[in-house]
Amino acid sequence: MSTIFRVTRRKFLRDLGVGGGALVLGSYITPESLFGSSLKSKLSNIISTGFPLGAFVAIKPLSGDITIFTHRAEMGQGIRSSLAAVLADEMEADWSRVTLRQADADAVNFGVPYPFPIPGAPAVVKGEDAQFTDSSRSMAAYFVAMRLFGAGIRLVMMRAAALKWGVNVTELEGRDQQIWHKASGRSARYEHLLLEAAKVAKPDPTTDEIIAVLKTKDQWRYIGKKMPFVDAEDMVTGKLVYAADIERPGMLTAMVVRCPVANGALKSFDATAALAVPGVRFVEPVLPPNFLGNGTTGGVGNNFIPHAGVAVIAENTWAALQGRRKLKVEWDLGSLGAKNADYDSDAFRGELKANTAKSGKPVRWKGDVDFAAAAKVVDADYYVPHLAQTPMEPPVAVAVYENDKWEIWAPTQGPELAQHYVGLAMLEPDPIKWLVWQATELSELVRADEVKTQKAFNESMAALLKVDEKTLFQMRDDLKKRVRDKVRIHPTLLGGGFGRKSNPDYIMEAAFLARNHPGVPIRVQWTREDDIKFSFYNAVSGQSFKAGLGANGLPTSFLQRSAFTSFFATFFPPPEYVPEAVRDIYAKARDGFHNGGEYLYGSAIERAQGLEDMPYVIDNIRIENSPAPSHIRCGWMRSVANMYHAFGLCSFADEMAGAAGRDSKDYLLDLIGPGRLFKDADLKAEHVMTFDNNLFPVDRMTVPIGGKEREVLPGYPPDTRRLRSVIERVAKESGWDQKKGKLPKGRGLGIAAHRSFLSYVALVLDVSLNDRNELTINEAWAALDCGFVVNPDRVLAQMEGGINYGLSLAMLGEITVKNGGVVQNNFDDYPVLRIHQTPKKMSIYFEDPSPEVVRTYPGDGVPPTGVGEPPTAVVAPALANAIVAAGGPRIRSIPFNKFITIH
Amino acid sequence: MSVFQLNVNGKVHSVDIDGNMPLLWAIRDVLGLKGTKFGCGVAQCGACTVHLDGVAARSCSVDVGVAQLSKITTIEGLSYDGSHPCQKAWVDLGVPQCGFCQPGQIMTASALLKANPHPTDDDIDHAMRGNICRCGTYPRIREAIHKAAGDRT
Repeated sequence: MSTIFRVTRRKFLRDLGVGGGALVLGSYITPESLFGSSLKSKLSNIISTGFPLGAFVAIKPLSGDITIFTHRAEMGQGIRSSLAAVLADEMEADWSRVTLRQADADAVNFGVPYPFPIPGAPAVVKGEDAQFTDSSRSMAAYFVAMRLFGAGIRLVMMRAAALKWGVNVTELEGRDQQIWHKASGRSARYEHLLLEAAKVAKPDPTTDEIIAVLKTKDQWRYIGKKMPFVDAEDMVTGKLVYAADIERPGMLTAMVVRCPVANGALKSFDATAALAVPGVRFVEPVLPPNFLGNGTTGGVGNNFIPHAGVAVIAENTWAALQGRRKLKVEWDLGSLGAKNADYDSDAFRGELKANTAKSGKPVRWKGDVDFAAAAKVVDADYYVPHLAQTPMEPPVAVAVYENDKWEIWAPTQGPELAQHYVGLAMLEPDPIKWLVWQATELSELVRADEVKTQKAFNESMAALLKVDEKTLFQMRDDLKKRVRDKVRIHPTLLGGGFGRKSNPDYIMEAAFLARNHPGVPIRVQWTREDDIKFSFYNAVSGQSFKAGLGANGLPTSFLQRSAFTSFFATFFPPPEYVPEAVRDIYAKARDGFHNGGEYLYGSAIERAQGLEDMPYVIDNIRIENSPAPSHIRCGWMRSVANMYHAFGLCSFADEMAGAAGRDSKDYLLDLIGPGRLFKDADLKAEHVMTFDNNLFPVDRMTVPIGGKEREVLPGYPPDTRRLRSVIERVAKESGWDQKKGKLPKGRGLGIAAHRSFLSYVALVLDVSLNDRNELTINEAWAALDCGFVVNPDRVLAQMEGGINYGLSLAMLGEITVKNGGVVQNNFDDYPVLRIHQTPKKMSIYFEDPSPEVVRTYPGDGVPPTGVGEPPTAVVAPALANAIVAAGGPRIRSIPFNKFITIH
Repeated sequence: MSVFQLNVNGKVHSVDIDGNMPLLWAIRDVLGLKGTKFGCGVAQCGACTVHLDGVAARSCSVDVGVAQLSKITTIEGLSYDGSHPCQKAWVDLGVPQCGFCQPGQIMTASALLKANPHPTDDDIDHAMRGNICRCGTYPRIREAIHKAAGDRT
């Protein structure tokens, strides 16, 4: 149960750049060390096993300079400052001595595995790659980890002083990077205790010992208060080095012409004119010929592999751009590409509508949905097109290949993921093995209560490669080791991510090109056009709703159907894309991974984002997932499936209120009822399909943590009491009741509330619509319950930004596809929100969970949950509802600028 | 290739480049000043904003031949220590999120304040609408400009 370890190997210290004599502290806080091994199998459906050790803190002798390695991707959420400040707070580090260093992609040395049972508030968040920064979970997953780690270091220093002074450790206190002995008045700085700290008696502190010295809330310096924001000054002076700003001796810049259609291949190219441009040095295909032996290219089902493309490599960006314009390329669409080349988003909208007009796959039901007896029937269809994330920094990566190794600098949300896939692409030429290695990764995430399935799955993979199961995993692990040895990734700070930079296709492009030019650093620079035309788009979705209202105006029957192009189709190939030999394995892997189900349907992750977790109390419910084929790459965008599900559901609630002649807010509260914590029994009674996702609970359990039995609430079950609270709060702050019926003609309030990424947000928008149908957003009020607020200022910033991001998408966002290629090019035809379109006034309120709610959670508080994504999903429905209240049309599709004028 | 004399941040640089190269790439790739960012290449986003004789301009759409007629200021030349009132206000109010667009925002804002020392919200919206921030920091940008103008504490 060691939780802190000390590193003294000299070479290692040198590699870290902290110099000899420094004390480097790592963390061994793993789920196993906290839970004990016996519970591993019980928990493995909600937590992954994680990696063996954690983040490093280096303390330099004499100077006392402290380096904190930050392992989460920084893309504007301020997380690297926030997590480091949590650690420094518990450690009692002198912040003026702290510098941050972004950790390389390195699961072994820098990954902090999670989840953590939370002393004081034990709950766990499902684990994935430790550095993969998505799902708004950095603080949810690592708040306690960083506290324990920091407190553990302080405890080591206390023990060091106890050793030095021959006193009892209980007489000592750590404060201001010093250990104090009150009785004798002695004190010593951490940097003067390093020799003793390296020697203090083994074993290292246990979890229980660390929990015992955790600070109390009133002792926190930064946590829950104003926190340092270390990168701000470099950002406003232009000194911050983003990946595009990296200079390497002899570096060349590449611009790529890509096949506009997913899964298309390169047929031929004529480089003559491009090579004639001064400064252009090379013109070459990005993917090696017959990549994976079968010419696999980027597209549907092919994961993060780049689209087929030809690179123009030049001495500077302008020359590369000029050369690219002169390049002539012909594409071979082949059988898969040809199918995608017919993709037309307008026609597809009709297909989605037809698919949601008939029965789909039931994912939740209760009672018998019957509209015949209803006093009134309300129905509506909703549509949300593909959307692109468009971070301000277009994708970019710098790679150099030397001595059979790759060194890469890139803005990435998934450093380990990028490392893994770059390595796989460079080192595994066999297409069947490629697919098997991917499947083995996924098989480890198969539900543990389906051990039999997992066993059969592994056996079938082993049989395919004609080896036994043990050898299969040994081969896989050997490959992973080689990947870690050969591919080094330095994550740079991201100029925005929003889900786009979870996908490392652009990093793979740089790695492929670098291999062709050993010793020459190659920078692959995407333009805005590249970014808009070759994203991993948010799913296009069609939904249909039907409700039968009873005599009191509330629904007695509710039917919802949702069809969306699941991002699983990008990562789990549709059957026809997969060699027959691995088709069965893939079907199993897909279904095993997050209950992904079969192709044409959505995964549990997407279904749990506003579909199966529909919060209204209705006697008869039927929720279905309707089929949707995929013809371009889909991925993640801030708020993901909540984007379309919350738009449909929260707008339809307002439509029902309108049909019932009721006030929108009062009706919404009645729909939710008195509020409840969803328990397993409820989910079973309502036949909710998803059980193994972190968005839904399994039974609460008691587990030994640090040798004591502690209650743990795995996952964060939907809690509609918290949804009610944010609605009531935002109604109060916006003056909803007082303004009712008093607003002038052409002005109205709209409300929407939604739970996502474990947090609860309610938003009220005040809009004006003039007689020329021109929209002004006068004011916005939002209430957020994200559990404990660790960094109030950055949480506010995320709320402000998230609301603006949602406004941008709702009013202006649309990606269309013709002949398989994306139509839009740049910010002129894919417009985004500008300063004059933001609400004139915006107020954000933290709604603390009520004492009654807090009592439901084990421990003494509700732990922190997501803030990056939750504000985005409520914007479109709140705006649509406000427009109706202002006398405008009911808008049931995005973007709204097709119906009203937005200047 | 032709030789151009570019006066950037008070220093004259002689550069031998393609005459069609936009100022942005001359600044970034040739002079190595990386604070000016590439966001769209078509004067839609403002990430590449610099001052030409004190007036905000999108460097991705200015030819070097035109630029050499003016005194060019980039974010590196706005102040040498982050002490420009805009930079200070930006930090004080925690405006940046990812930070990528902020050099451009600050170059536009500082040019606005020079021309209009006490802008209203509408003045700000008008001047700043050419600068996109995908993180959505607009409310704080407005506040920071008022603060830099000395109109807010």
